[in-house]
Amino acid sequence: MSIATTAIPSPRQPSRRKSLRFDDRRQLFLLALALPAVVYIAAVAIWPLVQGIGYSFFDYNLLRRGGAKTFVGLDNYVQVLTDGTGQRALINTFVFTIGAVFFEFILGLGLAMLLWRDGRFNRICLAFLLIPVTITPLVVGLIFRALLAVDYGYIGYYLAEWGITSPRGLLAGTTTALPTLIFIDIWEWTPLVALILLAGLKALPGDILEAAFADGATSWQRFRLVILPLLLPTVFLALVLRMMDAFRVFDSIFVTTGGGPGDATTSLMVYGVKQGLQFFNIGYASAIANISILCIALMAAAFTLLIRRADVKANEQ
Amino acid sequence: MIKTSALKLGVAAFALASAVATAGAADKPLAGTTLTIASQNDQFASVIAKLAPEFEEKTGATVKVDILDYGSLLTKTQADFVGHTKSYDLITMDIVWAGQYAENGYTVDLNDLMKRDAAELQIDDIYPATLKYIGQYNGKQVAFPFAGYAAVLAYRKDLLDAAGLKVPETAEDFVATALKLTDPSKKIYGFVANGQKGPAVAQDWLQYNAQLGGSVLDASGKPALNSDANIASLKVYKELFDKAAPPGAVDYDWGGREESFRQGLAAMMETWSVGAPGYYDPTMSKVVDTVGITYTPVAKGMEPKYGLGGWGMAINADIDKEKQEAAWTFIKWLTSPEVQKEMNMNGAGSYIRKSTLADPDLNKKYPFLPIIAKSFDNADGDYRPRIPQYPEIQDLLGTAVNAVLVGGVDPKTALDDAQAQAVKLF
Repeated sequence: MSIATTAIPSPRQPSRRKSLRFDDRRQLFLLALALPAVVYIAAVAIWPLVQGIGYSFFDYNLLRRGGAKTFVGLDNYVQVLTDGTGQRALINTFVFTIGAVFFEFILGLGLAMLLWRDGRFNRICLAFLLIPVTITPLVVGLIFRALLAVDYGYIGYYLAEWGITSPRGLLAGTTTALPTLIFIDIWEWTPLVALILLAGLKALPGDILEAAFADGATSWQRFRLVILPLLLPTVFLALVLRMMDAFRVFDSIFVTTGGGPGDATTSLMVYGVKQGLQFFNIGYASAIANISILCIALMAAAFTLLIRRADVKANEQ
Repeated sequence: MIKTSALKLGVAAFALASAVATAGAADKPLAGTTLTIASQNDQFASVIAKLAPEFEEKTGATVKVDILDYGSLLTKTQADFVGHTKSYDLITMDIVWAGQYAENGYTVDLNDLMKRDAAELQIDDIYPATLKYIGQYNGKQVAFPFAGYAAVLAYRKDLLDAAGLKVPETAEDFVATALKLTDPSKKIYGFVANGQKGPAVAQDWLQYNAQLGGSVLDASGKPALNSDANIASLKVYKELFDKAAPPGAVDYDWGGREESFRQGLAAMMETWSVGAPGYYDPTMSKVVDTVGITYTPVAKGMEPKYGLGGWGMAINADIDKEKQEAAWTFIKWLTSPEVQKEMNMNGAGSYIRKSTLADPDLNKKYPFLPIIAKSFDNADGDYRPRIPQYPEIQDLLGTAVNAVLVGGVDPKTALDDAQAQAVKLF
């Protein structure tokens, strides 16, 4: 109510102030529009995040001592970073993220270039390519688990029978399990990267490409000196999206290997979910989650810097 | 005017309703009550769901059975206890959760109710080991046993006969026989056990470990995961996986293991008695005529003791007194001799009563019941320590043993690592 009363301009006031008042009112109106979203975000994202940061400094297990909390400072973080499983989880997560995103980008870029030219065949291909993206990662994991099973899987059985893999199969080998999971991720998400890059390619200004062509640039020169620099913002988008997603990998690992064999495929999220939702070790699980958030934030920042530098360099040329 | 008549009508309706309710209460004391059970997806689950209408007919209470896999059951019920959300009135409790339940007071202590209704329960007919291990902890009875399982050895008579071998009576014989019976070219393996990371491999190894003289706790109850006996038994377990188990076994859990035996892939398998009815079922088993069931072997010179596992029914301590009483009525019904027999005639494979295991009809259907009876008489339900830290210990072992089986990690290194982490839990 007070907003309405103060905001009604008195007719005697000068017009300059009147318009300012109008702006104020507009601002308030816009704020009011945003308010539900702000409240929502605060309740479901910011508040839990702050809580999670708080919990991470406590020895807080819901199943012990009636859920009593003891302040332990940075102990949880130290333990994640020094504990064997914690270190493995961190390394596995980085290997998975870098491996998966690298190949998804290379293959996705290649696919996007192939599909750039608009034609019926390409449109049909595109539609088929999107099938993996539409399947839930959990289901993808179950499908590959079944395919790779050595007893009855269409792929796993023959690979083992022909001696290409060990008789126990790809997912049961300490050296092959993580690469297999990376492959599954590449299978599922390369089309998405291709689609994002394709959208970027289609939005490139045609006159510049024509000019490069008229100037006699070779295909490679056109790609490296014209297309790639112009495509950088889209590349950035694709890489950051996939990187954040890959770093949080959980479902496909959970249903295929459960983090095994041993802890060869335990990712930070698999480890965190186990600690938090299986053992209800909330303090420790919060520390794992915060480390994960921090890593993602740092990688996103690094990407932004790299891309900006590349962008500046490209503009200078 | 209208108001008054509406009021009169209301009063009349209320009177009528209470009259009906009283009439109903006489023969159906629990009419209007709904009991929700969180049940492990074992053989008994669908049987309980099938028999529940009989309980409703008798008492008026509706029973809803929520059938969950092991992981979901644990997570959902823990969340229910911790959040006091009262989603479940009754919970099937794995034998190894007793310590955690007792420490946190999640469920109703049944001691007083058992004393009050001792005659009705016919406690003397129930195996003391099932009462002791499935639910008793630090003087509390946190659950009432309704499905006791004995660890048994399932074997193939035809394969042993063909090789001229006897059914192994010691753990050493078992290993030697398993190695001899294995012939990968014919797809016959001497042995199969759970190798899958997590509870599956941990629980199976703990079983063999106990038979070979190992133990995960020392005499004072502190963790001793890397004791010499444990390291030695893990070496044996690895040897069996390397030389005598189907290659896929490193990823088997209970389901995969049972299936491989029913399909005739494995010659010998230690298992829970609850799986045994499946071997005699021609719709799912290829070994109906050739399977035998016997006692689990222990190392030479060791006192024979047989692994005991199974499930108790627990009452959520958060629900109100009246509902707790209704839940107790359900437990009494479920564990009564009549219902126990009916459950097992339906293939539940869940035994707690001497009279059920001695029942002629059941013995005709399942020839292996005397083995279970004798195993229950000499049962050990503590080889998987039922302490509050059990889930974490099981997880550490589940990772360590799996790493040894498939990762080429040395048994001592793996158990040393697990021990270092286990010590932090105490």
